[in-house]
Amino acid sequence: MPSPSGAPAISLAGLGKKFRLTHDRNWTLKATLLAGHRTRYEEFWALRDVSFDIPHGSTFGIIGGNGSGKSTLLKVLAGILRADEGTATANGRLSALLELGAGFHPELTGRENIYLNGAILGFTARDIRQRFDDIVGFAELDQFIDEPVRNYSSGMYVRLGFSVAIHVEPEILLVDEVLAVGDHTFQRRCLERFDRLRDEGRTIVVVSHDLDMIGWLCERTAWINHGSLAAIGPSGEVIQKFVDGGDGAGLPAPGTPGAGLLSLRGLGPDDLVRSVDLLDPNGQPLPAATSGGPVTFRVRYDAARAGETVIVALGLYRADGTHVTSINSGAAAAAAGSDGVVEVDYHLPALPVQPGTYELSVALHDTTMKKVFERHTHLVRFSVEPGGGDHQTGLVALGGTWQARAGGA
Amino acid sequence: MVALLHPDLLINLTLRDLRSQYKRSALGWTWSVLNPLVAVVVYSAVFSLFLRIQPTVGDPSGLDSYAVFLLVTLLPWQFFVTSLTGATRAITSNSSLITKIYFPRWVLPTSAVLARFITLLVEMAVLLVVIALWEGHIAFQWIPVVLALMVLQLLFTVGLALMISAANVYFRDIQHFLNVAMQPWMFLTPILYPLNLVPSDRELFGISYRTLYQLNPMVSWAKAYRNVLYDLRFPSAERWLGIVIAAGVVLALGFRVFNRLEPRMAEEV
Repeated sequence: MPSPSGAPAISLAGLGKKFRLTHDRNWTLKATLLAGHRTRYEEFWALRDVSFDIPHGSTFGIIGGNGSGKSTLLKVLAGILRADEGTATANGRLSALLELGAGFHPELTGRENIYLNGAILGFTARDIRQRFDDIVGFAELDQFIDEPVRNYSSGMYVRLGFSVAIHVEPEILLVDEVLAVGDHTFQRRCLERFDRLRDEGRTIVVVSHDLDMIGWLCERTAWINHGSLAAIGPSGEVIQKFVDGGDGAGLPAPGTPGAGLLSLRGLGPDDLVRSVDLLDPNGQPLPAATSGGPVTFRVRYDAARAGETVIVALGLYRADGTHVTSINSGAAAAAAGSDGVVEVDYHLPALPVQPGTYELSVALHDTTMKKVFERHTHLVRFSVEPGGGDHQTGLVALGGTWQARAGGA
Repeated sequence: MVALLHPDLLINLTLRDLRSQYKRSALGWTWSVLNPLVAVVVYSAVFSLFLRIQPTVGDPSGLDSYAVFLLVTLLPWQFFVTSLTGATRAITSNSSLITKIYFPRWVLPTSAVLARFITLLVEMAVLLVVIALWEGHIAFQWIPVVLALMVLQLLFTVGLALMISAANVYFRDIQHFLNVAMQPWMFLTPILYPLNLVPSDRELFGISYRTLYQLNPMVSWAKAYRNVLYDLRFPSAERWLGIVIAAGVVLALGFRVFNRLEPRMAEEV
């Protein structure tokens, strides 16, 4: 897309958006007339004084904790919400992927819904006819296109929604978390399609919790914290600041027990697993693991209640869901402490993974591995920071050494 | 200009309403015929047979049939009622769409009305054929005039639908109020009885009942439809003027109200 007179694709100037928090959501005409005025409400600024530009032809990430205002920002950009202060200007045809298949009617067929959804996204019937086969092909729904979409599986639904939206060929594409749905194959194809759009010079703005994906997909990133811009710049730097910063999304301050581990789901009093910790060789809590550095994962569980010898299984995943490895403790029987709790450490002299965000699953089995006491998938999240060594990319940190010498005999 | 009207979006949303209306019902489109059929049988029995209301004799057509007298106004009235009740929820029932995609929101109530208008077109065509066969009452030469009336009624209804659908986002009482209001409104419109039964010799605050009664804009439409399809004559100039002004004012007001209420719709819906 040629940028008209070098103007940025999106320009935000002093953007502010406030919401009304009504105490009594149940408005009635009578209440309004009696009160003589609108129902009382409190104002809450979801965004305040946000200014930045997104250049044409770039991929741009927006990150932040829950409730930070990043999705509100995207909705203001998409024109769904109207700014209360400042301006948000988009230069170019814009399409927003906030929810896939939002405009689908369950009783209509896939074919009818393609035309309907296309029209909602601003397409004429002729535009759709020209792209119809591509849309159906990308969604892999050739056999089912004349079925009502209520009979579709959720995967089919999402594929069709994505396919229509992507074929609208926007100059600016806004994407909100939509890749969290769908299977891995489909996610990969979506990312490939984003690559292609980027190569064509289109602007892509992605809001996501998936820091790995943002880091991989986006050149630049903005971190929105409590409704204002906390940082903006190259993605790697901003993501690092976000991970370090602990913006209230649940990252505990460094130095406290369990530092560096973000609980993705809570452990209840009924759970056998009591805690999972990330420790250095001296048994001190680590704020983050280091690629190629030593690390110990410590799992504490209630052996008294388990009643038999337990095998601890750890599953390591990247934040994008890629399975890195799974390991079992073997029958690491140990005498329980006075409180009935057993600690199991898994020690790694050199953590062989690349820097990034990782998630740990924990499961407790019996010694035959046939019975599962508990399985906590994606229990905690932690970050792995770059080690001192040479620059590497990919999945694993091999930790090898280079040696050069004169060749020949 | 045409692009501003978003024809593709309007057509697609109208088709959505029409297609989904009778999906998964065994009788399907038969329902849209059954509804006026049952109404005409019941109203004929009660008002013509029991209460002995005499329809005016068509001038100059000479037609004297309560069923035709009733139907030429009842079908446009039913279009009006179903349009408004459908449009009331046009915004609120599409909240998932409104909070996820930006598109001009006025097309939602407008397409809800358009879907009913298509139904009205079919019903009126069937009516013309039936009365030609049944009563030997030929009204085909008046089709362009009826179409003009119907389009004006469409604009009037769209204007009202825009106001109501937007207001219903903020005050959900509107949809209940509408259910309550439509029944008396029908009885205060000359659909089941001729206008000359409304007394002109009795007064309220010094104004005759007939004059007060005619403040209801739907009186003009009912009279005009009856002029054209029952009497077979051209409605008076004053009647046309009233109709055009009502349609223009309500449509303009509808867009004004809607545009004022639109910005916060995605938050309130």
